[in-house]
Amino acid sequence: MKRSSPTLLALAILAFLPLGLSAREAPKSALQNYVPWEDETVHTFENLLVQQDGRVKPLYSVARFTLLQFSGKSKVSFQTQDGETHSIHYADWLLDVLFRGQIAKDLPVFIVDDSAAVVQIGVSPKSKRDRYSYNELVVGRAKLAELGAQYAEKQDLYEKSEKRDAQYELDRIEGMILTLGRNISSFEYLVGQFGFARQGEMLVNENILPQELTDLAKKLDTVEMLEKMPEMTLEQLVQTIRQQPGESEDERTFTGALRLFFFHANSARGLNLFPPQEKDNEVWVSGGDTLLAGLASKEDRPWATDQLGSIRTLVLAQKEGEAAFHEALKAFSTKQNAIADARGEGKYSEMEITLYRGKWFTYSLYCFVIAFVVMAFSWLTPASRVGGILILVASLLALLGFFLDVYGITLRSIIRQRPPITNLYDTVLFITATAVLLGLLIEYFTRVGIGSLVAVLSGVLGMFLAMKYEAKEATDTITQLVAVLDTNFWLATHVTIINIGYAAGLVAAIIGVIYLAGRFAMMLMGKTNKEFFQVLTRMNYGVICFCLFFSLVGTVLGGIWANYSWGRFWGWDPKENGALMICLWTLVILHGRMGGMIRDLGIHMNSIILAMIVTFSWWGVNNLGVGLHSYGFTEGVWGALYSSWMVLGVFMLMGVIVWFRERSAKASRDNLATPKSTVTA
Amino acid sequence: MAKAPIDWSPANWPRLLYRFFTSFRLATVILILMTLVTLLGTLGQVDNGLHAAKVKYFHSFVFTEKVFGIPLILPGGLLLMIVLFVNMTLGALVKVRKRWKGAGLLISHFGMLMLLAGGFITWAFSTDGYMALYPGMSTNRVESYREWQLEVIPLSKEGVAEKAWIYPAEYLDTMHSDEQRVIKAESFPFDVVINGYSKNATPIPVSAPMAAGVTGKELDGFKLSPQKTSKEAEQNLPGCFVEFRPRDGSAPIEAILWAGSYRFDPRENPMPFTFTVGEQLYGALLVKKSWTVPFTVRLDEFIFERHPGVMTARNYESRVTRFEDSQPDKPLEIKMNEPMRHAGYTFFQESFGPSGSQPGDEMFSQFAVANNPADQWPLWALIINGIGLGIHFVIMLVNFTVRSRNKKLSPAALS
Repeated sequence: MKRSSPTLLALAILAFLPLGLSAREAPKSALQNYVPWEDETVHTFENLLVQQDGRVKPLYSVARFTLLQFSGKSKVSFQTQDGETHSIHYADWLLDVLFRGQIAKDLPVFIVDDSAAVVQIGVSPKSKRDRYSYNELVVGRAKLAELGAQYAEKQDLYEKSEKRDAQYELDRIEGMILTLGRNISSFEYLVGQFGFARQGEMLVNENILPQELTDLAKKLDTVEMLEKMPEMTLEQLVQTIRQQPGESEDERTFTGALRLFFFHANSARGLNLFPPQEKDNEVWVSGGDTLLAGLASKEDRPWATDQLGSIRTLVLAQKEGEAAFHEALKAFSTKQNAIADARGEGKYSEMEITLYRGKWFTYSLYCFVIAFVVMAFSWLTPASRVGGILILVASLLALLGFFLDVYGITLRSIIRQRPPITNLYDTVLFITATAVLLGLLIEYFTRVGIGSLVAVLSGVLGMFLAMKYEAKEATDTITQLVAVLDTNFWLATHVTIINIGYAAGLVAAIIGVIYLAGRFAMMLMGKTNKEFFQVLTRMNYGVICFCLFFSLVGTVLGGIWANYSWGRFWGWDPKENGALMICLWTLVILHGRMGGMIRDLGIHMNSIILAMIVTFSWWGVNNLGVGLHSYGFTEGVWGALYSSWMVLGVFMLMGVIVWFRERSAKASRDNLATPKSTVTA
Repeated sequence: MAKAPIDWSPANWPRLLYRFFTSFRLATVILILMTLVTLLGTLGQVDNGLHAAKVKYFHSFVFTEKVFGIPLILPGGLLLMIVLFVNMTLGALVKVRKRWKGAGLLISHFGMLMLLAGGFITWAFSTDGYMALYPGMSTNRVESYREWQLEVIPLSKEGVAEKAWIYPAEYLDTMHSDEQRVIKAESFPFDVVINGYSKNATPIPVSAPMAAGVTGKELDGFKLSPQKTSKEAEQNLPGCFVEFRPRDGSAPIEAILWAGSYRFDPRENPMPFTFTVGEQLYGALLVKKSWTVPFTVRLDEFIFERHPGVMTARNYESRVTRFEDSQPDKPLEIKMNEPMRHAGYTFFQESFGPSGSQPGDEMFSQFAVANNPADQWPLWALIINGIGLGIHFVIMLVNFTVRSRNKKLSPAALS
């Protein structure tokens, strides 16, 4: 009976584990069949460079985050009409979008969390939460555009209103429609990106151009047309196409050609594939920019024609077959990489692909999950030799997970040439690694299995959070820094140290949770294990001291940095206040214990409050919408925060119940010990 | 064993006070309250803005806060920090048993006291303002971010300003909208009467539909419409009615003065309200409080870089020359995280403008100018604190490790 509690827990965990592993059926596509791209073609394609968000990166990264944004997943799974199930990677998907638009339009990539959203735009719903293809949604395109514009305006009013006026707040369905509208527009931009090289083949927005222009597009080669055009700035072009065309056929054709040119230039924006001509110019340009640059200056036309011609070659080669396409793609890639090399750009693009292809963080999560299962098995035979071996195996798996996480962090640091933390996503990876390491160090010193459990739990929760956060944000997580953060010294010191403090605060809470859950379970079973719980208290006390040291030093370093960059040491900014509250609460615990106000139970309960403060400081203050740390704002995390606080609150409640039970038991013992007065008759 | 009763006799009060102020319990309670006040002050910024929240929660002795509609009186940050300072001085430095084991804590508490003292000196004695310059411009004048004062300036016939009469920001800021103040300007042949002062206001023509809802005086077809104070206190534009009453009994001159007439771009000129009393021409306007530094700064070049292809600023820095009597001219650079410190003043690269500037536009550079006697105290405090905590936690870690190694858990405890 002695082993019943951990054994039951272990069995429960093992029983529920497979529930999370069940697979869903792939959505059906209207495609009869699907011919995948050759690996070589994909490899060449994903290594192409593009400038986006202020840096040169591989096209692979653009594909990854675009698909994440549309689909919430990094691959597309679907079933074709021939009954085959396909699962394609994001680079393959972007290849389809750019070069096989007709196929891409039938791939189910647009996630809709609630079918009520598609019903509102007049599209037949599938299941409650499902993925739709462009062709499935296109029937509601006009309504989607109308509602999207309406909700964008509403959201704008909400953001500009003084106190975030609730009347302008988008409800869940409105938010989904707005996002879907934006995703559809982005998709159309991508599909229509090389429209200038397709000679009138309109893959999307067929109805935007009048018939006469569509016919004209089939006759005109935009790249060739560029050479014959008069020099014209964008403003002059816009002015000319706004004028009524003349009477003669030639005048009408000329105005039509200009309109077509403007349409193609406008459609080919966003994908900056061409390095600039000038060495000292850092801004890469898109097909649209290139068309306009060529139009504005005859001097630039040979260069512009060369760039645009290379895209035309790719488009034409794709029609000839994959071998020809691959050759053309290789030629384009070689030329582009040579220019980028000479400019010292895209140096780490291959490493970036290694980072994402390697899935280090995913494998790290797997390690922690397996370690957790192994750990759960160890509870079947606690204190035995087998139990000890299983804990060792779990610890080693956690160590492997830690190294995978650290490897990923290191790659990210090298790619951007910065210390490990520059944004919120980095903090998740770093805090997870620190918490795991702390847990393993505790295990090394104590050898009771609790340190390993802390490491494994931290790893599972942290890596899961990293995965979810990346999918939710769906934007490149290797970001460029705002001017004030452009200092490796302060990023390496203040930011790193304060995050170590956060990690320690969370580890303290995990120990607290284990302690309170353990005490509560023991209380229910009417048992006690004083020696074990004393070890937990000593552990937690040490971790809280560790948390204080790093939080205090990190906070003061932050103040000194603020004094250098903003001219004041302390400004009561929300992020500063969050860090201060962590320091204050660790001091409350330490002084409360020294003053006899709290004992073991109090330390653990307060460590849970500490975790609430840490999560508020880490995530909550970014969401207040005020303060100088505006580069950390993230929308929509309050729900997750409240949930985590409620879970922590449950453990607090357990602590309160234990405290009351202990108090009443002590009172009963005191009553028994006090001699009753004798009543004589 | 029952506790001995406390001796409440007056003779024992010093001892009781000493015990109270040196207790761990007081420290714990203060720290809990400080956490609470910090939380309230953080959340308070959402509705009231940073400046108002600072004044209410952190620079106060007490404040009231409604919790579920019930007003509670709570100690402000200033009071809490003073009590904490006393508690730490007496408890952690004076009363504490001096032994090697506690050396780390003693040092770190000294560091904390220094940090608190530095904070107090900053709060009480530091000044901060800004200086905005376009390339080629130079000045030694620093302006306040939020404080406005009333200036009346005699003007020569050519419109050149002479020495101004000032109604200081500290007085003006205490005025209410329903209050009238009559001020005797000794150097002028008239008194200045201020009324209808509002910390944030907009003059609106009476013909505008929104003027119907504005009570108060109408002057020259305008009313002064009080606005809700902005969360960003720097954005408030005060306004008031002012009356110049000549002492010779001639007709008073009335005007609406509004901070919006002041310059907001370094190249603009303020537009004072001008009037004549006797033969003398005067100008009156609301201006930002300003002061001078003992040297002049000229902006030679402002470098502004964005990340390629996006609007995010990558770097902004200013090349300046500092001019000072009896000193050679000194060319310098001021950039993010690299301020210029000189003669007790620190110049930080703060921001740039005008807002919405596009690449190629001429831009001004703005410096935050601070004069803080305790400028470097936090750094020293950090060093002291870090050493103290480092020593203490190394001692603790060694103890913990030794104890953990020596004291293996029994198998029963693990099962």
